[in-house]
Amino acid sequence: MMTLFIKSGGVLVITAVLGIFFFILFQIWPLFMPAQVSELKTVSLPNHSFSLLGVDEWGARPFLVEPDGRMLTVDYETGAVSEVPIDFGEPLQIVSAALNKREQMIIVGTADGRFAIVAPGYESEESDGRQVVTIHPSAEKVTPIGLPGVPILDIAYGDSGSSKLVVALQANGNNRQVSAAIFERKRSLMGQGKEEAVGVFDLTSLIPGRASKVLVPGTGDSVIVVTEDGKVSYLLLEDEEFKLIQTFAPFEDIPGAHIQAATFIFGDVSICFASDSGANRVFSLYYPKGGAERFFGKTHDFPSLGTMPSFLISTLRNKAFLLGGGSELSLRYSTTESIRWEGKMPYNVVNAAISGKYHRLVVLDSTNKLHFFKIDDPHADSSLKALFSKIWYEGAPEPKWEWQSTGGSDDFEPKFSLVPLIFGTFKGTFYAMLFALPIALLAALYTSQFLDPRFRSIVKPTMEIMASLPSVVLGFLGAIYIAPIIEKEIPSFILLAVGLPLVAAITGFFWSRLPIRYRKLIHPGWEWIVFVPLLLVSSWIFFQLGSVLEAIAFVVTDPATGQKTADFGAWWTATTGNSFDQRNSVVVGFMMGFAIIPIIFTIADDALSNIPAQLITASMACGASRWQTAVRVVLPTASPGIFSAIMIGLGRAVGETMIVVMATGNTPITEWNIFSGMRTLSANIAVELPEAPHHSTLYRTLFLGALVLFVFTFVFNTFAEILRHRLRERFKTI
Amino acid sequence: MSDARNGNLEFQRTYAAKGEPFVWLTAMGLAVGLIMVVALLGIIISNGLPVFWPSRVLEFQLKSDISNSVPQGGDKIVGELVQKRMKRIPVLNAQGIKKADQTELQVFVGNKDTYGLNFAFANQDDIASVTEPKDIYRIERLEYGIAFGYPKSVKLANGQSVPSTNATFSTVLAQLCAESTARRHEIENIEKHEIGQINKQLNELRISQKSDSQSAEKLSALDAQYKTLASKASELRATQSASSLQYITPTGVDRSLAIGELVSYTQPNRLSTWERIVLFARNFLNFLWENPREANTEGGIFPAIFGTFAMTLLMSVAVVPFGVIAAIYLREYAKQGFFLQCVRIAVNNLAGVPSIVFGVFGLGFFVYFVGGSIDQLFFGKYLPTPTFGTGGVFWAALTLALMTVPVVIVSTEEAMAAVPRGIREGSLSCGASKWQTIQRIVLPASLPGILTGLILAMARGAGEVAPLMLVGVVKLAPSLPLDGDFPFAHLERKFMHLGFHIYDLGFQSPDSEAAKPMVFATALLLILLVITLNLAAILTREKLRKKYAGSAF
Repeated sequence: MMTLFIKSGGVLVITAVLGIFFFILFQIWPLFMPAQVSELKTVSLPNHSFSLLGVDEWGARPFLVEPDGRMLTVDYETGAVSEVPIDFGEPLQIVSAALNKREQMIIVGTADGRFAIVAPGYESEESDGRQVVTIHPSAEKVTPIGLPGVPILDIAYGDSGSSKLVVALQANGNNRQVSAAIFERKRSLMGQGKEEAVGVFDLTSLIPGRASKVLVPGTGDSVIVVTEDGKVSYLLLEDEEFKLIQTFAPFEDIPGAHIQAATFIFGDVSICFASDSGANRVFSLYYPKGGAERFFGKTHDFPSLGTMPSFLISTLRNKAFLLGGGSELSLRYSTTESIRWEGKMPYNVVNAAISGKYHRLVVLDSTNKLHFFKIDDPHADSSLKALFSKIWYEGAPEPKWEWQSTGGSDDFEPKFSLVPLIFGTFKGTFYAMLFALPIALLAALYTSQFLDPRFRSIVKPTMEIMASLPSVVLGFLGAIYIAPIIEKEIPSFILLAVGLPLVAAITGFFWSRLPIRYRKLIHPGWEWIVFVPLLLVSSWIFFQLGSVLEAIAFVVTDPATGQKTADFGAWWTATTGNSFDQRNSVVVGFMMGFAIIPIIFTIADDALSNIPAQLITASMACGASRWQTAVRVVLPTASPGIFSAIMIGLGRAVGETMIVVMATGNTPITEWNIFSGMRTLSANIAVELPEAPHHSTLYRTLFLGALVLFVFTFVFNTFAEILRHRLRERFKTI
Repeated sequence: MSDARNGNLEFQRTYAAKGEPFVWLTAMGLAVGLIMVVALLGIIISNGLPVFWPSRVLEFQLKSDISNSVPQGGDKIVGELVQKRMKRIPVLNAQGIKKADQTELQVFVGNKDTYGLNFAFANQDDIASVTEPKDIYRIERLEYGIAFGYPKSVKLANGQSVPSTNATFSTVLAQLCAESTARRHEIENIEKHEIGQINKQLNELRISQKSDSQSAEKLSALDAQYKTLASKASELRATQSASSLQYITPTGVDRSLAIGELVSYTQPNRLSTWERIVLFARNFLNFLWENPREANTEGGIFPAIFGTFAMTLLMSVAVVPFGVIAAIYLREYAKQGFFLQCVRIAVNNLAGVPSIVFGVFGLGFFVYFVGGSIDQLFFGKYLPTPTFGTGGVFWAALTLALMTVPVVIVSTEEAMAAVPRGIREGSLSCGASKWQTIQRIVLPASLPGILTGLILAMARGAGEVAPLMLVGVVKLAPSLPLDGDFPFAHLERKFMHLGFHIYDLGFQSPDSEAAKPMVFATALLLILLVITLNLAAILTREKLRKKYAGSAF
């Protein structure tokens, strides 16, 4: 009975312990899942022609704008189709329409050269436990633009809050005219003031070619004009004047390619283009390296749709867009250049709209049927590529690895590259090992081989105490106490690092040449006792010499005033071009030393002490000195144990959290500069996970970070275990 | 092995031979390591202990034409000397020679409400003289921290005024201070406990959403109770501000402090050494027993000590049975072989998994998965406010238990392995079953080993912060995880922790310079706790070793 209890209990505990790995794996799995898109229902529409398809935030009531100025809406729940008139104050013939995504507004262009802005007026209320969405469209004043009485072929507008820019495209004989109207909105204390027309500009002369499409970003400060010969012009509005900044051809390498569709990606910094052959590219606005003005440049290239696209729409939630044409639908994600979902429909698609919450899709087919789809894609911005490859983010001049999980605005593009974090982890580990390894191994060698055994009972517990120091205390001391000292006294520390070993070696050298009656004064194994005062005195001297060294070697001259300054930080920045931070790798390396030295020391000491005594006595008997014995006999024999100690130390350094959180600036950078900080995987988790929403992409990505840490330490520890096993086998045979 | 007293030959062999400088180099390694530990402990002790020591208040007379950072300070800075530090002047003169370094004094001037700053800085060279103003008072207040000043009078509630020149002044002030402390405790009791109780009942009623007459009656009764208590509290508050202490700051500004705001006061320059020692002890005890004030930068750290204690205790309760059962299984029951080898490696590996990974697991599994399920099953009426579905002391304890279970497994296994085979076989040959042998012979004999493991686990648990940040530690917990309210132990509550207190105070505090003494004191306490636990473990282990050293059968 008891046996059964113990057995099941034991197995339970062990499976629970191993379950950690699988639980974390289970948590990150959805990050790599493609989007799930499934059809919900189909509604037949009357056989009209429509100039615009839009949908509300919840995807419950899509609308279509009809040429006679009415709105056709469909209730998803009931499938009922109803018509809502838009009150323009007069009958209008609508020939073009566009959506302003940021404002959730519609702009319509009429056959007689006028435009009007329409608010859909969605209202959502709870009724009988289900959500009912109603629509109450209201139109602003109908305003003329461009050539009077000429139909508007394409229209777009942007609204920055204080001003509004409307751009219309009209046929002017054989030519095309592009007109821009600017309206200013004076803000008064009582809220929004009246709109005032500033002027109408004719942009035609600025455009090299026959315009076929106009786009205006939500900020209303520029115009994008697409021409029929596949060129795109970028016009900037500055001080009420338009300037042609750039003309580029997105598909210039494809002969005879026309731009079939173009749309801004959410955030209005990138434009997605599709050619008539189905080629699909994204161009982003960024400052080229060293440039002072932003230009569009190709940032992403997607596989071709394979057929002529009929529409291209972007979402209001993320950087995804939907490309459709023929019977193909392709949901793509701009940032990661990935295809989230592809589908071949049994009908020809004409238009589509995605709900603001990115969870429902409505597709209009060529037979005027409206198809509702459910989109299940909670981690659209995540993929293997996003996590580990260089990504060309919006606004960046080149692809790079970057971690920046949250931003100030809704249209922020989260950057989830684990590479800077993994880099930071190794950087911290490297500098920690650089400091800890020599001290720990030297101390272990001395303790096991040369130290008078009487001292062992002091040295070992002291090192164990060192191992038990809470890392939060080490981190706090590092940041508050040590960092300001190191910042000021770098030259002193350089002297210390070089000088102390020299002092030790020189002392040993002269000591061994002293007549024997002096040497008799110190027993072998007591050297370290002599060393403590010697070390303190020489440290003090080196420390004082630091400022002398600084005045000699680390001087920068201000070119403006000729003033010379002896400051290491300024010198480092001026000479190497790298930054110099107060909380830097030196501080982390030093403080992590407290955590790692005792671990490496203990394990290495165990390995070195367990060398069979006959090996040492044999070596000594052959006339080898104690140093020769230690280096030629003991070290090689115990080498697996020492490697095992290093591995365990590495594992501890990789996972150390609080020291890194507190003693570095936590900036996710990828440079080896010793005087800058880093952000490690563990610190990243500690900083971001408490704020991460449950099951968000960030949450799961942080879990992935934990898994990577887990794997790192598992590899190190298993390796160490294997080495130790080999060491035991080796001792067995001796 | 190498006995130095064997005469000249031995000496020649050891010293004249090659490599002696390298031996000294390795000696340096050990010396550096030991110095590092000692220096670190020294830094913490030398910065942590003086926090409680009542230091003297000094008056620094500045030389003329030196600008004073204290507003309207004239040419005087009055306060406690915090530190002297070297200020490097990096500028070189034309000959390339550095200017001499300067010594800068950091002075704690207090009176933050008047000055707008807590610290003043002055160069040593700019100071003409230093004196000790004998009559200055150090007044600890509920808000704005410490004030230094000279009392003028005490204004009583009846309008009378007792000037500081009056002989009865000090007794009157002492009495008022004692009364106000008593009233403050009473107010706290009313507002926190009694009104808290009523609020809890009101909340229960609201959640049950019954609209019958009975609950309406209850509601109005509770409301009436609340009103009486609230009026009582506001009455007490009025008394607290009825009388006041009038004092003048060293810069000559007249200030008035309501007696209710007065926590304590001393005349630091009139204290004898013995009085200082008593005050030191009292300050230390207050630090241990009081609740924090002023965003944790003043007062004590009792909730953090209690939270650490409660969490560690819960963790121990969880970790021992699991660790011991797993160890017994591994050592006594599991069949030796490849699988066991793998399990051993896994357990050893687990000891090396970073603590933050356990925190991540604890958050995902215990808090969101298990806690979320418990909430749905038993606390559905409170949703969406989570009960167990958010960090708490129970989840923190379980997370740390999982983290420290390998420590207990390894040391229990070691202890069980150390039990001599003969004892075991003796028991079995007397007819005891396997379980009886384990229960009566092996386990009692390995108790010190289990204890060692437990103490080590506790030391690690008490000092660990990273995983706790994810599973329930907070900077300021409104109530303790154990109190007088039914069911007394509130496992779902968030808690405060010494280690997190250090992190939060040192890094998230609005005035980190003013919080520094508190952080050093807390760090000292935490280090003492962890070192004591570790020393206990080391001693227990030594005892264990000695016990079995001679008992080879």
